Amino acid sequence: MANAEFKDKIGQALGNSTLRGALGRFGEFYLTARAKVYEGYDFEVLRDKVAETKAYAASHLDEMLDQFEQAATARGAKVFRANTGDDAKRYIAELALQNGVKGIVKSKSMASEEIHLNEDLIAQGINVQETDLGEWILQLCGQTPSHMVMPALHMTKEQVADVFTDHLGRINDPDIARLVKTARNELRAKFLEADMGISGANAAVAETGTLMLITNEGNARLTSTLPRIHVFLVGIEKLVPRFEDLEYILQTLPRSATAQAITSYVTMVTGPTPVYLPDGTIQDKEMHIVLMDNGRRAMYADEKFKKTFQCIRCASCLNVCPAYQLVGGHVYGHIYTGGIGTILTAFLNAEKFAENPQNLCLQCGKCAEVCPGKLDIPDMLLELRTRFATRKGLPMVQKFALDIVSNRSVFHALLRVAAKAQKPLTKGAPVIRHLPLFLSGLTENRSLPAIAEVAFRETFKKLPQGLEKPKGTIALYAGCLLDFVYPKIGEGVVKTLNDKGYRVVFPEGQSCCGAPATYMGDVKNAKKSAMLNIEALNAETVDYVVSACPTCTHALKDSYKAMLSGDADWEVRAEVLSSKAIDFSKLLQELGGLELGGDGQGLNVTYHDSCHLKRKMGVYKEPRAHLNAIKGLNLIEMKESDRCCGFAGSYSIKFPEISAPILERKLQHIEDSQADVVAVDCPGCLMQIAGGLDQKNSKVKVMHTAEILLNYHSSK
Amino acid sequence: MCVTVDIEDSMNVGRSVKRRGVGKVFDPDELYLQFKERLNAVAGECYRIRTAQEAERFLARLLRDKEVKDLVLVESPLTKAGNMIAELESAGIRVHSESLREKAPVVGAGVTELNWAIAELGTMVQIGTDVNQRLASSLPPIHVALIQTSRLLPTLTETLKTLHSLPQIPGFVGLITGPSRTADIERVLTIGVHGPEQFVAIFVDEEAGEED
Repeated sequence: MANAEFKDKIGQALGNSTLRGALGRFGEFYLTARAKVYEGYDFEVLRDKVAETKAYAASHLDEMLDQFEQAATARGAKVFRANTGDDAKRYIAELALQNGVKGIVKSKSMASEEIHLNEDLIAQGINVQETDLGEWILQLCGQTPSHMVMPALHMTKEQVADVFTDHLGRINDPDIARLVKTARNELRAKFLEADMGISGANAAVAETGTLMLITNEGNARLTSTLPRIHVFLVGIEKLVPRFEDLEYILQTLPRSATAQAITSYVTMVTGPTPVYLPDGTIQDKEMHIVLMDNGRRAMYADEKFKKTFQCIRCASCLNVCPAYQLVGGHVYGHIYTGGIGTILTAFLNAEKFAENPQNLCLQCGKCAEVCPGKLDIPDMLLELRTRFATRKGLPMVQKFALDIVSNRSVFHALLRVAAKAQKPLTKGAPVIRHLPLFLSGLTENRSLPAIAEVAFRETFKKLPQGLEKPKGTIALYAGCLLDFVYPKIGEGVVKTLNDKGYRVVFPEGQSCCGAPATYMGDVKNAKKSAMLNIEALNAETVDYVVSACPTCTHALKDSYKAMLSGDADWEVRAEVLSSKAIDFSKLLQELGGLELGGDGQGLNVTYHDSCHLKRKMGVYKEPRAHLNAIKGLNLIEMKESDRCCGFAGSYSIKFPEISAPILERKLQHIEDSQADVVAVDCPGCLMQIAGGLDQKNSKVKVMHTAEILLNYHSSK
Repeated sequence: MCVTVDIEDSMNVGRSVKRRGVGKVFDPDELYLQFKERLNAVAGECYRIRTAQEAERFLARLLRDKEVKDLVLVESPLTKAGNMIAELESAGIRVHSESLREKAPVVGAGVTELNWAIAELGTMVQIGTDVNQRLASSLPPIHVALIQTSRLLPTLTETLKTLHSLPQIPGFVGLITGPSRTADIERVLTIGVHGPEQFVAIFVDEEAGEED
């Protein structure tokens, strides 16, 4: 659980309107611009290539390194392999010393920031100059980058002008064009004087010993043209096997990073090139390549984190992350920011620095959808979370809650008591608008639904199914919210499936799917839930196991299987359940879809895509098809329909201050769509959005697709 | 170790590749239009001229309009096809083709011939092993890139293949797409940071240099 200091940092970031404004504007611009710049290109094919190429290099790392070293050396470069950051720093510092280096210009290198290279060189009395504009601004005011591609994203032009004024001792106006001009003039002098250039590389080609740098400002061109010594500091994950492989990086990195088809400059350096010496003669420069490990091999050796070698550092994962967009890079605490940054920090700096920021992940999966390297960042973050929880244990309150939730009889008994005890709070309404005492945070920006007086499992027994010759049997897995809060959804599911000729059964022994435990890193309780439900659902005896909650379906379909793989007693049964578990909307489509019908009454509906349904199951066309089959229903697409609503299970309890503005944005898009109803397929999203709309006194209603179908059937 | 810089060599590398023929034949008019559209979209200027002589006159006028008083120029087949230096000088522009380390940081423009152009991206490809080629194209506020229209390649794929088919990958290959730019302050696009503020591509149809 996030500690107080971390919470403070989040509070500060959220209170920084400059940061919020800049991040928000960029986030909105980015998605549209990215989509446009990939037009005519098959992103899936491209990212397959990136992933394949980089995975190959990673799995043949020693061979690649040898080949690179051989090729680069043959062309006249000196290659040094640094196991640690200290090795790299020592090598570069000694090199500078031996050559009497007085001034160094640096083109952007995250690897050098990772090891705090500047400090060491400056301590040696060398003038070290960052030349990337954003990096230079940060260097002048002693800050760290808040974004991997746009390091000073968090600053206003006024702040930059103040930094320049302080540094240059003359007034600088907050005029961006003039500030850039000032930077050009100041840094131009440094370029012309420098004896050494230091840069990173975006890719290193094993076959040819070529290093590729991608920039917009032109600083990499000057760094590789003017100083007599050039040092490349390159992480060993940058290797690609063949020269032509550069294409995949070039076609994805600029597009994903800044929505550019290509950056202004791409520089490919193979061996030393001629340079002017101070005496006016032309000679080949000295070129040094430091291939740095610094924790990367350990990261690769960890089965769960191998794919980090497929990362091309485009930071598109940051650009689409709802949490990053609110808090910015500095709360992540280190050089690398965002979800991927948290993972890199854990391995390249120290694991303890990842403990707080990993909590920021909503598990919405949007980053995995846009990642050119096909990394499943949420999955890796969850793995980190699980490791922390396993090693250190969960805080007592969380542990207690999860122990209860995974004990079916205690949990269900408690819910029955709560259904009665909540009465003074609901004041007869279906929602709880305010909770007392320390629980009040939970109802600050959204109301909470009241627990249903009669649970679905009771209602179910009385539902007439009236099928004489059913086509088959479907087990209904309800999940907690449907069972105890939204029983109407269950009724809609049963009615719809009956209509398709199937009998529905409700296996009594079912309980919480275990997702709360999974997402808090509590493997023990998650497994307990898995076994309990596998046993109860007895998937072997039915045709399908249906759920109207995508988080539950994901658990039944994917998580149990992964969790129990290798467990001889459970593996096979988990596999059977996995093969039969299906989301309600998808099942309806599989059974032939909804026939055109309904009362024809006009209704404007907008649809919110749940994270798990769209990105874990790829289901987003199906629910829209069902809605479109209802006469009179007019489906209006809202903006960013697949953006997380901010619920994310326990996240809204852990970080209400982040969850609330995410919800706010969703509510705004819903209101803007002018729909009467927002349809969802996840009871969690339903709870979150309904709670938010209620607090805003909005007229818009939220309904699960299955509830809408219940009306459709009753009007037939 | 002293290196003699043979400019014509680096230009001719490309020429022989072109003669060998890479991939299928594309319509240069179509490639040019595609290139121009892409380059214009990133604030680059793009022109196509029929003969080398016309190109010289065009360049002199263009630079005079831009109020360029002096420039650095790297000699190449296209600059030598007619009498480019004389043409520019007679337009009142001081041309330096030597001591580029000294002159490139202070003059108003740099003129160099580049090796290929990629229609797909509006990108020009520079073999910049020669240090003067790099200085003249990266230090002055205006970079004029001369190129033969026949050097248009359709795609990045084709370009990388072409580079790889050379006896060795050149020491320095620069892909240039428009002027230098940044969005590091408040995400506002600003042209001209460390590199040129203006980028001008001039395609010349007439083949310069010896075609043996």
